[in-house]
Amino acid sequence: MLPAAAVRLEAAGCLTALGDAVSTHSRLLRGERALSLSPVLGAEGGEAVPLALAGGRGLDETAPPNWLAQLKSLADTIPADDWGSPHRPVFVTSSNFGVGSLYAFRRTGEQAHLRYGTPSLCVDWLARELGWGSNVTTLSHACVSAHLGLLLATRTLHAGLAPRALVFTFDFISPFVTGGFHALKILNSGFPAPYADRPTGSIGLGDGAGFAVLSRERGDFTIAAQSVYNEMHHFTANRADGAGFAACLGPVKTAAVERKLWLKGHGTGTLEAGRLESSALTATFPGAPLVSWKGSLGHTLGSCGVVELALAVESIRAGRAPGTVGSAAPCFSPAVALESFSTADCDGVVCASNAFGGAHAAFLLTHD
Amino acid sequence: MIERYLQALSLADPGDEDPAVTRDRLRERFPKGATRRMTQLGLLVGAALDDLKPRADDAIVYATGYGESRALEAYLDSFPGASPTLFQTSIHPSAVQQAMITRQHAVGEFFPMTGRGNLVAQAIQTALLSPAPRVLVCGGEERGTWLLENGVASARTFALAFALSAEPAGALARIALQPVEANPEEISLEAFFDVLARREPLNRIVGQGARLTLDWS
Repeated sequence: MLPAAAVRLEAAGCLTALGDAVSTHSRLLRGERALSLSPVLGAEGGEAVPLALAGGRGLDETAPPNWLAQLKSLADTIPADDWGSPHRPVFVTSSNFGVGSLYAFRRTGEQAHLRYGTPSLCVDWLARELGWGSNVTTLSHACVSAHLGLLLATRTLHAGLAPRALVFTFDFISPFVTGGFHALKILNSGFPAPYADRPTGSIGLGDGAGFAVLSRERGDFTIAAQSVYNEMHHFTANRADGAGFAACLGPVKTAAVERKLWLKGHGTGTLEAGRLESSALTATFPGAPLVSWKGSLGHTLGSCGVVELALAVESIRAGRAPGTVGSAAPCFSPAVALESFSTADCDGVVCASNAFGGAHAAFLLTHD
Repeated sequence: MIERYLQALSLADPGDEDPAVTRDRLRERFPKGATRRMTQLGLLVGAALDDLKPRADDAIVYATGYGESRALEAYLDSFPGASPTLFQTSIHPSAVQQAMITRQHAVGEFFPMTGRGNLVAQAIQTALLSPAPRVLVCGGEERGTWLLENGVASARTFALAFALSAEPAGALARIALQPVEANPEEISLEAFFDVLARREPLNRIVGQGARLTLDWS
């Protein structure tokens, strides 16, 4: 596909189990792991699996959802504007929205949970709580959802439909999603070790939310290229030849010529995807260090693209990127950075994410 | 104003047809053995997309408010022994992925969208902003059971798909969006399906303040 035209990044922020972007970045630099072993079905028990919940909240859904206060505190840091008005569009992305409320309803029968259970009910409720107007577009493409929000917001700006756009993303885990990944056997009692060449793979799951304010003119950072690709090969596996990774990274490589890069990969901790991803990234961007932060934060699902964008911005501002917390040698590629490193010599970072169905997304972030 | 031409259209309105009947009826439209685990919405959207003969350089925009309601119901009822298959099948973009994966048909852009009264306008705007030479817009709903009884699933099963391109020759219709300063009216996906089925023209302020026009040839 053609790379989207560049767009300015005016502001970005995030929320993880390690706090806001500044706190999360600094705690990742210290090698902290947010994940801890918790029962997979919350109050109903089950195997202890690595989960990272934000702000000490419980996994079991409440009515209203117990993550609202945290989303509001994140929203308070968004540059003020008439968000959701005709020329200030909001693009909301998530994989799960409030579906944990449907799980809670089915287990308890409490009707109050139904008010948040569908994507539109959840987003309408959030828009009211956060004071947005009705110009809210909602996208849901599993773990590349946030990337699609960035891409569509960029196109909206370039079409002259708005000078500024907000991409807002969130995914708070619940037994609905922990139970699903546990059933797939990739969420188990092991902690994730992204890109590590070991006998058994595993992921962790974590809460995540983030925002990005895109502008045609303002901002020290630039999203210089964006790319998406959908293999449609298998629901939970990639093509064995890695062609899907290469197809997505190709347009980003073209835009990154002559840049000195570092790479923020998807790196959940699954083996085959980790092997294919690290191989494709290393082949496309030889010599660039590769990190994943999901060994600490867990996989924040549909929010990960913007959560990790905010952490990449913080890394560039601070001049140091956290290493691949939770992983250890041997790794699939010598490019995997296990320790933190200076970003001073780099003038760009490629951020990549993957999702069910062999979906791929990537962008190039540069700094003036 | 941004505009495209509607080059092909496929609609499915199966009424209260049982999902098993839909599966039998559409079995020949998919590779052998592929329909066993497909949802009713996946079957209907997949058949509608197939009518448009998808190409590798197409972009796909998918609109649904509720998605895979039956799979979601069954997944929720599978706890505490959660079903991995139903978990995968219940995710939002599943209907299109079911169809495209059975055919091993890769695509570049795929925008799965959701919403209510502004969903149609937003999906069309997303399609019109795509640089792809042809954009396949598809969508639909499937009738729920216990989720419907609780007001959180569609009461009607339907699917739609149409192809948009910049080529006017042979077009069935012209579709355009023009930003305007006026109060919008909502239009549901179901109402838009009926507009397409009746080949009615459309000229109304929708979404976040844009005039949506649909003029049939």
